[in-house]
Formats: sequence, C-alpha cells, structure tokens
Amino acid sequence: MRTRRLLTILALLPVLAWTLFPLYWILTASFKTELSLYAKPPQWVFGPILENYKRVLFNIPFFEYLWNSTLIAMGTTVGSLVLGTLAGYGFSRVKFRGSEALRFLVLLTRMVPRMTLVVPYYLMMLKIGMLDTYTGLVIAYISFALPFSIWLLIGFFDDVPIEVEEAAMVDGCTPLGTLIRVVIPIAAPGLAVAAIFAFLVSWNEFLFALILSGPASKTLPVVIAGLTTDLGPLYGEMSAAAVMVMLPNVVMTLVMQRYVVRGLTLGAVKG
Amino acid sequence: MGTLQTRRWYLIPGLVFLIGIDLVPLIYSVGVSLFNWWLVRPQEIRFLGLGNYLALVGDPTFRRAVVVTGVFTVGSVLVELLAGLALALLFAQPFSFLRPIRAVLLLPLFVVPVVGATMWRLILHPDMGVVNYYLNVLGLGQPAWLGEPTLAMIAIVLVDAWRTIPFMFLVIHAGLETLPAELYEAARVDGASWLQSFRFITVPLLTYVILLAVLIRGMDAFREFDIIFVLTGGGPGTATETIQLLNYRIFGLGHMGTANAVGIVTLVLVALMCFLLIRAILRPR
Repeated sequence: MRTRRLLTILALLPVLAWTLFPLYWILTASFKTELSLYAKPPQWVFGPILENYKRVLFNIPFFEYLWNSTLIAMGTTVGSLVLGTLAGYGFSRVKFRGSEALRFLVLLTRMVPRMTLVVPYYLMMLKIGMLDTYTGLVIAYISFALPFSIWLLIGFFDDVPIEVEEAAMVDGCTPLGTLIRVVIPIAAPGLAVAAIFAFLVSWNEFLFALILSGPASKTLPVVIAGLTTDLGPLYGEMSAAAVMVMLPNVVMTLVMQRYVVRGLTLGAVKG
Repeated sequence: MGTLQTRRWYLIPGLVFLIGIDLVPLIYSVGVSLFNWWLVRPQEIRFLGLGNYLALVGDPTFRRAVVVTGVFTVGSVLVELLAGLALALLFAQPFSFLRPIRAVLLLPLFVVPVVGATMWRLILHPDMGVVNYYLNVLGLGQPAWLGEPTLAMIAIVLVDAWRTIPFMFLVIHAGLETLPAELYEAARVDGASWLQSFRFITVPLLTYVILLAVLIRGMDAFREFDIIFVLTGGGPGTATETIQLLNYRIFGLGHMGTANAVGIVTLVLVALMCFLLIRAILRPR
C-alpha cells in the first residue's frame, strides 16, 4: 500500500504541473517587466511590478469594457433565471404526453453550432438596428444558458415536496405566490448554481461578442484577444487583463465545487 | 389537483424564447443560403437555389477545412479520452489526499477559453516561450509551434486537451464510482489480474459513460472556435482552418449566402455525428 501511495503521488506530479503551470506562468507574467518577460533563461524569480495592470486599467477604457461584460452577464443571469425557473418548475410539476421529449428538445437546441447561429443573427440584428447593443448579446446568451438552467432546476424542484405546496394553497396562496414564496426559497441553492453558470456562460463567450459587439458593447474576452499592436501582441498587458478576467471564474468555481460534476455533464452540451 | 395542470403554462415563455432564438435564425439562414448575397453589393442579391452548396462541394478550401476539422476533432477527443481515462483510474484509489487534488485539476475547465489560449500563446512563443527555451537547452531546437502546419495542429489539440481533459476525467470518474465493488472483489477471488478485471469489468461497464463523454466532447471539438482563433487564427496558411474558422472568414468577407450555406452544412454534419454516436450509445449490449 505504501509503494502504491508513493507511485500515485509520483504519477500526480506531472499532471499537476501540466494543469497548473500555464496558470502560474500567466500570473507571474502579469507582474513582469517587458525585459524579464523576454529574458533568457526564463525568470522564475523576479522583482514584481504593477506596470502591466496600470497600463491595462488606464491606457485603454478597461472599466468601460468591464462594465459591458458585467452588465451583459447580469442581464443573462436574470433572464435565464426567470425563464428557467418558470420552465423548470413547469417540467418538474406537470407531466403530459410528450413532456419527456420536450425536455430533450430543450437540450438539443444546444447542439446547434454557434457559428451557424451567429451569421443569420448578425443579419437580423443589422436589419432591426440592434448590432452593438447589450440587448442583442443578452438575448443570445440567455438562449445559451437557458437549456442548462432548465435541466438543473428541474432536479432541484423535484426535490421540493408537493405537500408543502398543497399546504400553502390550502392557506390561500395563488399558484404563482406558492412558487415565489414557498418553492423558490426551498430550491434556492439550485437557483444559485444556475445563476453562476449563466453568469459564466456570458462572461466567457467570445464568438458572438466578436461579431455582434462594437465600441458600445465590447466585452472583455474580445478586448484580450485584441490587445495587439503592429509590433505583435502586448503580452504583459494581455496577461494582466487575463488574470483580472479570470478572477470571477476562480471565485465562483470555488463557491460551487459540490455541483461541478452535475453541472458539467449537462453544461457541456453547449453551442 | 386541477390547479397543478395550469402550471404547464409556465413552460411557454422559456420554450417560446428558445425556439424563437434558435429556430427563427436557422430558418432565415436556410433562406439566405439560397442567394448570392454580398454585403458590399446589396443591390445585386440574386437567387441561386442550391448554387452555394454545390460550389462548396467543389471548393478545395472547404474540403480542406472539413479534413482539418476531422483531424482536430478526432485528435483532441482521442487525447482527452485517453488522458481522462488514465486520470480517472488513478483517482479510483482509496487515498484521502486525492480529493483536494481533484478540485485543483478542475480549474482549466473554468478558465475563460480566450484566456486559456492566451496563456499558451505566451508559453509556446517561438523566441520568448518557456517551452522553447528548455527545448533549446536540451538541444532540440526552437520549433515554431504555431508557425508550422503539423506543429500548429498538435498545439491546438494540446491546448484544447488542457482545457477539457478535466471534463473527460470528471465524467469517467463519476461513472467509475457507480461500478459495484463486489464485482472486483469476486474477480480477485477468482484470481483475475488487475489487467483482466480492467478489460472484462471496467471497460464493458464504462462503455456507456465513455460514449456519452465522447459525444459531448466530439460535438464541442467539432465546433471549437475560440482557442483556434486566438492561437493560430486558422494559420499558418490554412493549416488549422476548421470549418468554423473558414465560416468566420467567409462571413468577414461579406459573402452572406456562402457563409450561411457553410453554417447549415456544419449543422447537418454535427447532427449526423450526434445521431451516429447516440445510436451507438443506445445499441443494446
């Protein structure tokens, strides 16, 4: 057993290095001067500086982009929570012919490649003058997050005992009142997970943002990918921006450790 | 209880929204794909019928993109599957220190894809990259990771693998945990070696889970855009130009008819792949 333990640890070391090294490297790169960024041999120990962060924060309208990303992600979260709660609750409580099939149809909408959607979506937004708006992106992102929200919430609503609802109804609650005042508080952890996933879907999205956003709605992933000059990419600034964009992801991942497995198997069915 | 049935109306907003946002653009897309529609010359929109599709079939660039997409999809899913399987087996041991490590291994999944690709661009940089420095020290030269066709393909496969091995690992890991321990116990009593119980218990019982993981990952890899766009942009030349990147390029040139046709063809190919894999999953064993 002891040798097996040792062998397991030995096998894990390269795996950990492979997983963590890129994260470590970009984190340190964000604190390096241009000189030490290009230094040979690569510098593992160096005097950290905040120049890159200062340049990203103040040389480009970073806060404006942060605001865009945040607002769009919030809109996506709220929209997919409202629609997802209603539909998830409906699916959980009502069984009718074809309701199973309908559930799978919901999941199947995530099969459509985003590239296939974005081209006609662009033309339609162009026609109604909604290119480069928050709304245009939020509507698209809700549709990306919704199937997962619905599936996740069905599971959480299934766990709410029907007797609780019946008791509330007897006490004179309307159906919608029962949902809001009785069911939702019980299923609150599920709503929190769905909210975090929806937020990340929007926060991470690149293709739609690249094509649909302009000066008024540019989001952070597009900004990072575009931090390039004629002389090549600005690696210092890129690293600093990347580290900042990653922060919410890391925090939220830690918050919802428990639901990760359940979430990913469904959440991975994305566009 | 009668009032319970009224709750079916709660389904309407979400379903209408989903169908509206997915189906309407798709139908519109099919329509546009039948036209010669160049954004630069809006007055010259002409009906072509299946002309755009026929042109694609004969277009070497498109055919090449199909091959590139196939190579990327098969390559990355294969690498991820093998690594994920190995990891899951490694974690199927009763050591308490594995749990916190598992949490750490999940991190890449949550990194913004564009950021993940940016990290690797830094690491794989031909002159200043840390990989090439040490390769050079070992006398292996300084390969242009993203500038040479074969290496660029290997690079995007590896970066995709970095991001999604955790997914394969998680799914297979979850599958392994549902396998009954008594089976292994019985096999050991009967004198089966570790390899034999892997071959005759683990593999058959895991097939369902593995196929499911391959289905999900395969569809995602087929549609991958972010990582390839940031790392190589489809280059060098068109060496890593998948159907998605080609579609983006055609769109950028303003050829809406062709871009929509490529999109519809992608959808059909993904649906076909999905159908074949689901049939394999549901096949009675």
